[in-house]
Amino acid sequence: MYLELDRIRNFSIIAHVDHGKSTLADRLLEDTGTVDKRNMKAQLLDMLDLERERGITIKLVPVRMNYKAKDGKEYILNLIDTPGHVDFSYEVSRSLAACEGAVLVVDSTQGVEAQTVANSYLAVDLDLAILPVLNKIDLPSAQPDRVRKEIKEIIGIDADDAALVSAKTGEGVPDVLERIVRDVPPPFGDTNAPLQALIFDSVYDNYKGVICYVRVVNGTLNAGKTIHFMATKQDYELDEVGVFKPEMVKVDELGPGEVGYIAASVKTITEAHVGDTITDASRHAAAPLPGYRKVKPVVFCGYFPVERENINQLREALEKLQINDSAISFEPENSVALGFGFRCGFLGLLHMEISKERLNREFGVDLVATAPNVVYQIVLTNGEVIEAHRPSDFPDPVKIQEIREPYIKLSIFMPDEFVGAAMKLCQDKRGTYVGMDYLTPERVRLAYNMPLAEFILDFNDKLKSVTRGYASLDYDHIGFRAANLVKVDVLIQDEPVDAFSFICHDDQAYSRGHAVVGKLKELIPRQLFEIPVQAAVGKKVIVRMNIKAVRKDVLAKCYGGDITRKRKLLEKQKEGKKRMKQVGRVSIPQEAFLAFMDVTKTEDK
Amino acid sequence: MHNPFEPPNRRLSLYIHIPFCERKCNYCAFDSVVPSADDCDVYLELLNKELEWWSSRINRPLLSTCYIGGGTPTVLGCAQWERLIQIIDSHFYFDDTSEVTVEANPNSLSGAHLHLWRDWRITRVSIGVQSFDDDELKILGRLHNAMQAREAISYALLSGFSVSADFMFGLPGQTFLNWGRTLREAAHSGLHHISLYQLSLEEGTPLAAQSPKLPEGYESYRWAQWYLPHKNYMQYEISNFALAGHESQHNLNYWREGEYLGMGPSAAGYIAGWRYKNTSGLKKYEQRIGAGGSAIASGERLDAYHRSREAAVLALRTSAGIAREEYCETFGKSAEQSLLNSLNKFSEELVTITDKNIMLTRKGMRVANRIWSEIV
Repeated sequence: MYLELDRIRNFSIIAHVDHGKSTLADRLLEDTGTVDKRNMKAQLLDMLDLERERGITIKLVPVRMNYKAKDGKEYILNLIDTPGHVDFSYEVSRSLAACEGAVLVVDSTQGVEAQTVANSYLAVDLDLAILPVLNKIDLPSAQPDRVRKEIKEIIGIDADDAALVSAKTGEGVPDVLERIVRDVPPPFGDTNAPLQALIFDSVYDNYKGVICYVRVVNGTLNAGKTIHFMATKQDYELDEVGVFKPEMVKVDELGPGEVGYIAASVKTITEAHVGDTITDASRHAAAPLPGYRKVKPVVFCGYFPVERENINQLREALEKLQINDSAISFEPENSVALGFGFRCGFLGLLHMEISKERLNREFGVDLVATAPNVVYQIVLTNGEVIEAHRPSDFPDPVKIQEIREPYIKLSIFMPDEFVGAAMKLCQDKRGTYVGMDYLTPERVRLAYNMPLAEFILDFNDKLKSVTRGYASLDYDHIGFRAANLVKVDVLIQDEPVDAFSFICHDDQAYSRGHAVVGKLKELIPRQLFEIPVQAAVGKKVIVRMNIKAVRKDVLAKCYGGDITRKRKLLEKQKEGKKRMKQVGRVSIPQEAFLAFMDVTKTEDK
Repeated sequence: MHNPFEPPNRRLSLYIHIPFCERKCNYCAFDSVVPSADDCDVYLELLNKELEWWSSRINRPLLSTCYIGGGTPTVLGCAQWERLIQIIDSHFYFDDTSEVTVEANPNSLSGAHLHLWRDWRITRVSIGVQSFDDDELKILGRLHNAMQAREAISYALLSGFSVSADFMFGLPGQTFLNWGRTLREAAHSGLHHISLYQLSLEEGTPLAAQSPKLPEGYESYRWAQWYLPHKNYMQYEISNFALAGHESQHNLNYWREGEYLGMGPSAAGYIAGWRYKNTSGLKKYEQRIGAGGSAIASGERLDAYHRSREAAVLALRTSAGIAREEYCETFGKSAEQSLLNSLNKFSEELVTITDKNIMLTRKGMRVANRIWSEIV
């Protein structure tokens, strides 16, 4: 017996970071009795520690709630959470595609931010019903009228009737539940039509293997059935279907409109693509559900173990990380300076940073990360087009006809007093002005096209500092454009150290080369010989500095023959050096590799 | 019953720590205090007990060298010195070749001390001069001035001892010229032996609290390495220069992995392949000895690899360096090969390798810590 479709409501919550999405979600779970208040871990939906620390959600944890509405009927409310960061906009779009409505949470003390707008547009595009909710209404600085106006003007949704809520105190939360029942349309689908179910996320479970989070559109999913993934064209035996309450609970069947999980004989998470359509192996649907695309990493960097012998530990850790995060790609890489490691691809900067931290925290891997870079398209003189994922992929400059780099269109929201500073920053970052409009008399939206490479360097941090944290931003990829780029090599003792090579605009080669060489001079400790550090474009050296030989070495008294103490001191020194990378005869501390990432960011004029 | 401490014909070195000073110097972090009332007498009796503890385990060995340091051994008066000598004599043997050194400070060294020492069997006196510059001595918080230092050296020489003096470089405000003057005077004052140390700021000392700016010290040391040999003081060890025949056998014994016992708080010893260190501080020492035990607080026996590396580090302190044949005999050919592998990253400017020896060059000695830390 399938659920009646008109008793199901599938919805997401979309919000800017810190606007209270997780808190509201927690309240909904509490008010519907889905989760016992006592067992409620604050912000239950943010499962990973790291996410909780950063206040952002990455993984999507759908929850099924039973709700008895004021009309006396029982409803099933499926809350499908969405990650709150632009790196994951494709995942957001697939989660939204599994819903009929979205609760748009706006902080009534802050107003509409870039992320809100980006995700709202996604929801509007998918024809979702949007329920505006003004949160933090209990705070004295709440300005519901202003924020209503902003929602109307920026997103184009009438917010006069928006729910007023304090997720913190619980005020207004019952009203939100009623509105979900009233305003989110029930799903529609045909039990008898060929199976179509959307995979909107997948995770790895130690007991059950790969778990796909699914939304059934047509047909039914039940254990024992053979299913077919339409994008990857693979068949699997369906072992188990179930729902989230929020823990996994087995059910017999999932029918149209329902949200739940499946466990099949899927071996690795890379086989379960977010956005893929599941159909019946014996009765294929005529077409997959719309909107699928294969996620492609846009930001790359190299990971290398600090201790060379830990390469297998790093590989295992990456494999385990990939089990839960199919968006990470990695392939072995061999660096002259850093030995064996992996070139890893990510959806964005945040994704990269989180992955690095998880490797460190969850798997105890000590690693050196090289500066992030984007993918370049290089047109060779023979007309061939190649992709360069790292500086060392760049061919000899004489063979290059043209280099193209990825561009993004950037939207920045901010109070108008910061417009000048933000524009200057965009210009410095090789941005080209697209447009500017006033959202309200005090708030401005600024649009620029900008090389992604400039953006990933440090744009976010810089924007935060010039706007004192009042700006928010969002971006779209807009394809590749030709640019006057050069590869700058850094030579230590006349040997190029690939980990320090970087690509930059011709105009910035000197200033960045100078900054990098200067920083390395500062960070590489003096050694027993003089070390020249140079920056070069092709064969032309553009910057040179020398690290003088060591001269300071304390000749302390070794009193009373206490040799053990002396030995321990020496061993400590040795340990310190061990943590450094050997490049030829030169020991380079890990900080130099990390700081390299910072300098290439900060020193341009 | 087999006694692990007693192979036949053992010749030992002995270090005795006198943990007292008239005043703590500004830079000093060693184990010493200003004695009050009968502290010194009480201490000598504790020392006697510690020596007894050892001599019940090692049957009155012959001492090839003995070093009485501190602290300031000249804080002890004549009667106390007589007692100390009695204690040492009752537990150890000497012969005519035994080198016996005592440390002295210029302000408390008296003629009476010198007489007493000469009449016993002291052969060397090591004077804590540190500098011939009165301003530098003040910064260090020394109790003597340059004139007293000169007098102390003269008296010790006149008494017929082999005389050594300690000097410090890298002092706050010390110019290269000042250091040159101190060294020149040192080389012209008849000393047999000169020890050089670089000032290091030790945590918890008054000088470190001021966090003064210290000169690099590199040039000072390099100058000494060049200048002193010209005056016939050969650099036989990283910190030590001596006229021929006046090298400190006691120190060389440390670097040659010879056995020695250390007595008194914070003293260290090496015996039967085992390194130990005594408890620090007079109070704890008193408790331990008073309870009839030893003062040993910690000990370690290194595995073959670490011992081979430690031996290399110690030997590389000396200008003769590592005697390869002996090293191979003790640790094996493969240990030597592994050592050579660790050393091959250093250029010939720093390390000299001949058929017989592996040595640091003068330049190598200037950056010795770096080299040692690679091979330890």
